[in-house]
Amino acid sequence: MRVAKSAYPLTWRIMDALEAFAGFVWPARFGRAIPWLMLAPALLLVGLLVLGLWQIGDASLRTLDTSTFLMSESYTLANYRRAFTESLFAVVAWRSLVGSLIVTILCLLLAFPYAYVMVRTSSPMIRKLLLIALFLPFFIGQVVRAYGWLIILGNQGMVNEVLGLVGIAPIRLLYNYWAVLFGLVQYMLPFAVLMLAPALTAIPEELEAAAGSLGAGWVRTFRHIVLPLARPGLVGAGLVVLTLSLTDFAMPAILGGGSQDFIANAIYDQFFRTSDQGLGSTLALLLVAVGSLLVGLVFTLFGAGTLAMAGARR
Amino acid sequence: MTVPLSKTIVLWIFVVAVLVLVSAPTVVILGASFTSGNIITFPPEGFSLKWYEKIATSRDLWDAFLRSVYVSAICTIVAIPVGTLAGIALAKYTIRFEKSVQIYLLLPFTIPLIGSGIGLMLIFGEARLLGQLWPVGLACCVINLPFMIWAVTASASSLDPDLELAAASCGAPPLSTFVHVTLPAVMPGVISGSLLMFILALNEFLVSLLLTDARIVTLPVQIYNSIRSIITPDLAAISVVFIACAALAIILLDRLVGLEIFLKSK
Repeated sequence: MRVAKSAYPLTWRIMDALEAFAGFVWPARFGRAIPWLMLAPALLLVGLLVLGLWQIGDASLRTLDTSTFLMSESYTLANYRRAFTESLFAVVAWRSLVGSLIVTILCLLLAFPYAYVMVRTSSPMIRKLLLIALFLPFFIGQVVRAYGWLIILGNQGMVNEVLGLVGIAPIRLLYNYWAVLFGLVQYMLPFAVLMLAPALTAIPEELEAAAGSLGAGWVRTFRHIVLPLARPGLVGAGLVVLTLSLTDFAMPAILGGGSQDFIANAIYDQFFRTSDQGLGSTLALLLVAVGSLLVGLVFTLFGAGTLAMAGARR
Repeated sequence: MTVPLSKTIVLWIFVVAVLVLVSAPTVVILGASFTSGNIITFPPEGFSLKWYEKIATSRDLWDAFLRSVYVSAICTIVAIPVGTLAGIALAKYTIRFEKSVQIYLLLPFTIPLIGSGIGLMLIFGEARLLGQLWPVGLACCVINLPFMIWAVTASASSLDPDLELAAASCGAPPLSTFVHVTLPAVMPGVISGSLLMFILALNEFLVSLLLTDARIVTLPVQIYNSIRSIITPDLAAISVVFIACAALAIILLDRLVGLEIFLKSK
């Protein structure tokens, strides 16, 4: 008896019981529903966002009664009219759109060589170093990084102190458009490189060697071999950088100092300064629409790039 | 093959530029946190640990930090089962409407953060949940969930389906197969995914800003509120806590799955 007991340990018995329980509540013939059962919690969680969008949509159709500070009971399109006609919002939207395009171009330009070196270097040490240098800021968060730039670029910051040492009067480096764009570029760089790197890994090194042996200089090889083959990565990275910087809040708020608001800041102000939920919701919904439109447009033009979630497997 | 010198030089100019851009804030904050002056100056005014003493005794900052950790813990605890199951389901089974499911599950990334945050704020407000911390954790989980699913699908698709069939043909019932074959295979993905979830929730700013009030601010929001008033070195010292957490996460990630995993092409 004792032998049998040790040959059939407790954990097995527990597994047997669980197995029987699972078989009881979920007979094998329900098998086809198993993947949906496994997906259900995730679908429900993301459903919160859909519910949130519904709420935003609902609120966007109500106007604020300025005498009672209550939202109207009836639906109207007045908020949309305001969002499209008031020049303030056009200015903010234009500023964000142009800004995020500039940020995207600069980011890809800087990230591409970095990703290339990281992927192609023969030294594991350098590769690890470059990876760590990327992940550290990625994991530190926007506020802390923006704070670092405040120390560097502030009126009594490092740059101005150094300029002062050589006798140049302090320059106002912060709280302007370029400070925000600068902050966004350095914030987006890790995203861009990490989106680009897998696409570059997929390019066989032999192709470049072949181009070289046929007499192409490295610039030509880059232009005609590496860049075209890296397109999925460039699309993915560009899209992520574009949408994230278009909708960013922290950099314009901290490095722009309130004078360089992007769309997200305008939405925040509608909710927490003016307390106009309706108009804020309208702007938020329009931003979601513009964001989705951009994603759709880039996907139809260039394909899903590296963003397709496990779509291309097997 | 020899690499032309001009190529090396041009590439490394870019690399160094990026290195400076991404590392400068970290280095400067580290330096500033050790200053002995009362304001941040350059060159630093001598070495002291007084700002660390100050944050160690500051209840506000500590409480904010603990709240951040609590939020991240909730986020990770929810994300692990939800993301793991969904990831395995997506990688292993052929599902009807798979494309639509994938697009749906990517919604947290395609909806701008301000939109997600405002939406969650409205529904949590309606449900009278605002003013508590766990909804913030749940919100952080929702907005970063694709990272978790991504990590799990990546390691689940490298699992040979024959292994599971082999287990079954050796007589293992479905649950045993799942626990002893499938789960260990996706473990690297679960680990890297949950690390990502934790550290991203720890740093989450905008959603915290929208969902917390003055009594329950998380640390990033606390720092944001303080830099708007005055910049003192104690903020640098508390920022070093974030840098330390990030460094720890990187070391763990590197030890457990290797950072190079992020360079792999799918």
